[in-house]
Amino acid sequence: MTRPHGGGRGRPLQDWSPAPRRTEYVELHARSAFSFLRAASLPEELAGAAAEMGFSAMALVDRDGLYGAPRFHFAAKKAEVRAHIGAEVTCTDGTVYPLLVRSRVGYRNLCHLITRMKLRAKKNEGAATREEIAEHAEGLVCLAGLDHDLPWLLDAFAPGDVYAEIQRHMDREEEARNQALVERARSLRVPLLATNGVCHATAAEREIFDVLTAVRNKTTLDAAGRLLARNSERHLKPAVEMARLFADHPDAIANTVELSSRLEFVLTELGYEFPKYQVPEGETMNSFLARRTDEGARRRYQPYHERARRQIERELALIGKLGLAGYFLIVWDLVQFCRNNGILAQGRGSAANSAVCYSLGITAVDPVGMDLLFERFLSEERGEWPDIDLDLPSGDQRERVIQYVYQRYGRRGAAMTANVITYRGRSAAREVGKVLGFPEDVLGRLSALARAWEWKDPQYTAERQFRDAGLDPANPRIRKFLELYQGVQDLPRHLGQHSGGMVICEGQLDSVVPLEPATMPGRVVVQWDKDDCADLGLVKVDLLGLGMMAVLEETLARIRESYHEEVDLAQLPPDDPETYSALQRADTIGMFQVESRAQQAVLPRMRPERFYDIVVQVGIIRPGPIVGKMVHPYLKRRQGREAAECLHPSLERVLRRTLGVPLFQEQLLRMAMIASGFTGGEAEDLRRAFSHKRSEAKMQEIEVRLRAGMERNSIRGPVQDTIVQAIASFALYGFPESHAASFALLAYASAYLKTHYLAAFTAAMLNNQPMGFYHPSTLIKDAQRHGLRVKPVDVAVSDWLCTLEMPALRLGLRYVRGLREEAGQAIVRRRPFASIDDLVHRVPELRKDELTKLAAVGALNALEAAGRRGAMWESARAIQPVGPLLDTARDEARAIPLRPMTPEERLRADYLGTGVTIGRHPMAWRRAEMNARNATAAAELHRMRNGRPVRVGGAVIVRQRPGTAHGFVFLSLEDETGIANIIVTPDVFEQYRLTLVGAPFLFIEGALQNVDGVVSVKASYIEALPAWGAEPVSHDFR
Amino acid sequence: MFAAVDAPYGADLALLVLCAADFSPYVEETSPSTVVISIDGLTHLFGSPREIADAIARRAADVGLAVNIAIADNPDLAVHGARGLAGVTVMEPGREAGLPVALLDPCEEIALTLALWGIRTFGEFAALPEDGVAERLGEEGVRLQRLARGAGSRPLAPSNPAPPFAESIELEHPLVLLEPLAFLLGRLLHDLCARLESRGLAAHELKLSLSLEGAAPHERALRLPYPMRSAGTFLKLLSLDLEMHPPGAPVTAVALSAEAVNPRVVQHGLFIPLAPEPQKLELTLARIAKLVGEGNAGSPELMDTHRPRSFRVVRFGGSENRGQSTLSAVLPALRLFRPALRAKVEAPDGRPARVVADGVHGRVLDSAGPWRTSGDWWIKDAWARDEWDVALSDGALYLLYRDRYDGAWFVEGAYD
Repeated sequence: MTRPHGGGRGRPLQDWSPAPRRTEYVELHARSAFSFLRAASLPEELAGAAAEMGFSAMALVDRDGLYGAPRFHFAAKKAEVRAHIGAEVTCTDGTVYPLLVRSRVGYRNLCHLITRMKLRAKKNEGAATREEIAEHAEGLVCLAGLDHDLPWLLDAFAPGDVYAEIQRHMDREEEARNQALVERARSLRVPLLATNGVCHATAAEREIFDVLTAVRNKTTLDAAGRLLARNSERHLKPAVEMARLFADHPDAIANTVELSSRLEFVLTELGYEFPKYQVPEGETMNSFLARRTDEGARRRYQPYHERARRQIERELALIGKLGLAGYFLIVWDLVQFCRNNGILAQGRGSAANSAVCYSLGITAVDPVGMDLLFERFLSEERGEWPDIDLDLPSGDQRERVIQYVYQRYGRRGAAMTANVITYRGRSAAREVGKVLGFPEDVLGRLSALARAWEWKDPQYTAERQFRDAGLDPANPRIRKFLELYQGVQDLPRHLGQHSGGMVICEGQLDSVVPLEPATMPGRVVVQWDKDDCADLGLVKVDLLGLGMMAVLEETLARIRESYHEEVDLAQLPPDDPETYSALQRADTIGMFQVESRAQQAVLPRMRPERFYDIVVQVGIIRPGPIVGKMVHPYLKRRQGREAAECLHPSLERVLRRTLGVPLFQEQLLRMAMIASGFTGGEAEDLRRAFSHKRSEAKMQEIEVRLRAGMERNSIRGPVQDTIVQAIASFALYGFPESHAASFALLAYASAYLKTHYLAAFTAAMLNNQPMGFYHPSTLIKDAQRHGLRVKPVDVAVSDWLCTLEMPALRLGLRYVRGLREEAGQAIVRRRPFASIDDLVHRVPELRKDELTKLAAVGALNALEAAGRRGAMWESARAIQPVGPLLDTARDEARAIPLRPMTPEERLRADYLGTGVTIGRHPMAWRRAEMNARNATAAAELHRMRNGRPVRVGGAVIVRQRPGTAHGFVFLSLEDETGIANIIVTPDVFEQYRLTLVGAPFLFIEGALQNVDGVVSVKASYIEALPAWGAEPVSHDFR
Repeated sequence: MFAAVDAPYGADLALLVLCAADFSPYVEETSPSTVVISIDGLTHLFGSPREIADAIARRAADVGLAVNIAIADNPDLAVHGARGLAGVTVMEPGREAGLPVALLDPCEEIALTLALWGIRTFGEFAALPEDGVAERLGEEGVRLQRLARGAGSRPLAPSNPAPPFAESIELEHPLVLLEPLAFLLGRLLHDLCARLESRGLAAHELKLSLSLEGAAPHERALRLPYPMRSAGTFLKLLSLDLEMHPPGAPVTAVALSAEAVNPRVVQHGLFIPLAPEPQKLELTLARIAKLVGEGNAGSPELMDTHRPRSFRVVRFGGSENRGQSTLSAVLPALRLFRPALRAKVEAPDGRPARVVADGVHGRVLDSAGPWRTSGDWWIKDAWARDEWDVALSDGALYLLYRDRYDGAWFVEGAYD
């Protein structure tokens, strides 16, 4: 990260020369950027600066929280600086009390105090009363200022736990206050303590501090006036400088060292305990887990073969040794809860590597059968909790599981992990631009620059981007903008809630970490994010909502209800030919993980024939294999066009199943284990070293070890280089095989259900929107092409959700845009209706606009013989309030004066009113025009020769410019026969940029590419077809 | 009968009004691009309604306006015709049927309902049963439907535009001296103020534009603290302003305009001391400003910044919002040297030890500081400085500062 330097006039001169003297000093009052807009440096930067200045210790005292404490603790530990923890606590008397943690009791008290004040207030607010501070004073040290009531503090805190804090920032008024405070402290015999009230690590970061101050006060730098810092002195200063500043109070400096030595608390002594699982009398957690695993294994493995038995024994032994039985039992308990309540749950991620998890029903993939790597999940060397993530149906069902956890472990025994929202791209550009006082249009241009497209041309420097956006990079304000924009990157902005991570604790979680309310009612969040929790050994269970789980759950219910069949996801026929045939044809719209454009382009070449092929299919369209250039070699080998050679004979066993091409993370770890003799734990270390928080030094160190190991195993020369390169480029993005396998199960299940129970699957997909890759209009058109009859919304029969009227699907009232669920449900409850008047009369919840919308989409046709226009005419009258006198005088049976809707009008009303149409596709109305222009229908393209010039027309349903595609744009054009895939080269894109980005219907000329069943058109000419004002919605740039 | 004239959006309305006023004194400014006049009684002058319309069109073309004109029995129908049909149209019965309903300018809700009903034209709307419309669209719907049937019946609402408060004069010979120019200005101002007076208005801004020989026009704007209409005062103010900002070349034309507003009526308080007469005060201030330079006369106001001793000069009676001093009252009074005295300071260990400046020199007996401020780092005018309070051997207490960008020392003032 770069930080800005100097000002509009360059850098100010340095201070006068300090008199060097050996002094010891500990900075005990520093805020980090985790005080959210009240300071400018990350905890790591502060710890790094402290180490550079040779501090033996330093304290982080953020405002009203311990948000930055874990990061500060670990950064300081690495830099060999002792980390003290504390917080500035806002008090209802209008002052702020800096409190330092002296002991574990103090830490617990501080957590309780912050939790109490936070939980009763709105988000980002809250203050403690003086009584509460006094109540929680034990084990805490208070740094008092002139605003504080010293006698009261002396009374509230233990003897020796109150210091009079003096700071010197070369400010006259501050000095006057200091003198008053020193006098008062002397009279009450309170020791003095020097601190610098640090808000930024270096003097240069004062600019960022000023920017954040302006953001916090919602003003601009020009207007902020005296809200900004008076000077740049609130940075970390070395001991000699502090000693010189406080030359008249040497005791204040000496006391910092004395106090530091008394602050004995370290953050790793949290006193955290994972809850114990209650087991029946006579059992231990280990024995209980072994019994449950054994029961499960006998059910899962039929027969329960020796390999599985050995693996399970090995795992149980390790679990017992690491004392993790309770954790597995608690996750098992959650899965049991789901099972008993009919909630689908499936473990994802590395847990799928464990045979114990498989036996307990936590995961659904057999790791023994698939030969998965257990060490990726759990290893003795790592000494940290394993990570079990559960996929749950998104929405209410997941909320039920979360509430079950709260209920089981108590409101203060469980909480969600936080998600720190940091300044990035657009938000950084906008806010920095705003405080610099740029007008709205410039702000718009700046934030658009920050990240307009996923893909960035490497030649496209910031300077060029600015020029292109009509901004002069030579302008000092614009230059300053760039500097500050880079400076605020990654600084925390506010605290959010992680989507599903929950921390559970034996006893009170608020003794371990402060809790605060989440935006969502009924939820509580800890002040740390999931990495912090993991680093400090807090066990976390991720309860993730997955749209597809909800779809599968609903599909099964609808099959039961309408097909009267019972389908068990665990018992699906494993090699269903129809399902595989659909996959091979890339006929996969709506199917989990294999429906995207990129997936569809690979499927016909991949031609999956068995389950493992789907695992590969899920894992291969990922940045790792794409960037690592593994996709094409794999596909060539798959098609028999290239020999499936492994890099080295010793790697044969690892790479054979992926035809010699490493595709998964586990394979890389195994390669390291086999080729370089790494242990399982070392291999996992390797993965972490190459992961998101990668460090150059660590990576180099590991490379040396890798090469040394390979030398020992006589793997040398280019093979060695290839292996090292594969590991290096891949470890970051590689997809875990276990994860791919879990997802592949869901992919297969969704493919199977779509193939055999199209109506139920489509209804479930439509009811769980938004999700997946395609808009409902595309899902409906696809289902119709597969022979499903879709019936329109109808107040006489439609439910709120889409339902089945075997063999057809009935659209639900939820598809009527603007109809509130309350009104929709009332309609369902109170039918049948004799007429529109009757409907209006008996459903008073219905508003005028809602009734009009129902009429416009034809949902009232059952009540009005004259069609949509008739229903509109009648409903417009029926909804008008009339007095009792005129109630009977309404015109009866008068002819409808409006002409019926034309087909085009109906189509328009459908798209406007529901976003979908069950009638003919808009392109069907244009077919004659298309034929006249010699255009080919999408369904005909695959019959045509490769290389032939073709013309196609259709509605744009997907526009994509993936980061890995070097500026190529992929379009999907839908017509009434199917979907045509269009490839746009960067040159053509530049030529037709506006048309491509804006037009809903396109006419395209180009060369047909038809190779191995993958059909696409490489566009050379693009034209917008006139729009109708309503059309299918395109899903852009994902 | 009424004629509506519709000009393209953005055309000069004043021109359009002028053009219409040539035919009738009663001109309604229906919208910024449409005017309506009554043409009753024009038949004797111009002939049939179509001939009248043609005459208006010719007149408009003369002044460079391409307009659409419609003649109808009522103003609304004429307006709709002019807006919906190109060229000159005499609205025969039924002619309106093809016009789009959007011309009726219905509210959003009715517009949406009509669109949903598939009603696109006046004719389709007119054909709906009236009681049916009344039941569904209410009173407003009925009104619009009547308009759609061409049955509007409102009277014309002619506007009575205020004459522009502007005067100009082209000169036969370029003027070089200010005196004859002042004479001219006096005449123009006299007329202007008379016109303001006749309307009971006053001016709160005067704009003077002098066309110059071979140079860009010289524009001056005189913003007055409150509305006035005294030609004498205006003349003096303008003359003072021109003396301070003389035109750079001979003047070939003079244009003067006033922004007219209602005059301020003030009731003086019985016990409030009488302030100087506003006109006189304004003149005096203008004279002082001429002497000391613009921006140097007014009352000082502290600025909201950490920059030491920064203030700005605001016009008297301007801002009421005074900045608060942050310096506590115990500090002794400081006499500032303006500008600060450049000093030579010996500071062997960073602390000033000896100071030499114009009229100030001595050994430093005692010092306090540095008091450091910096800011405005995002603009060119950034500052960073260290201040010291020093007791010199000459017996006085001074405020020194050092610019931290260039290292220069200054004596900024002496404490009392």
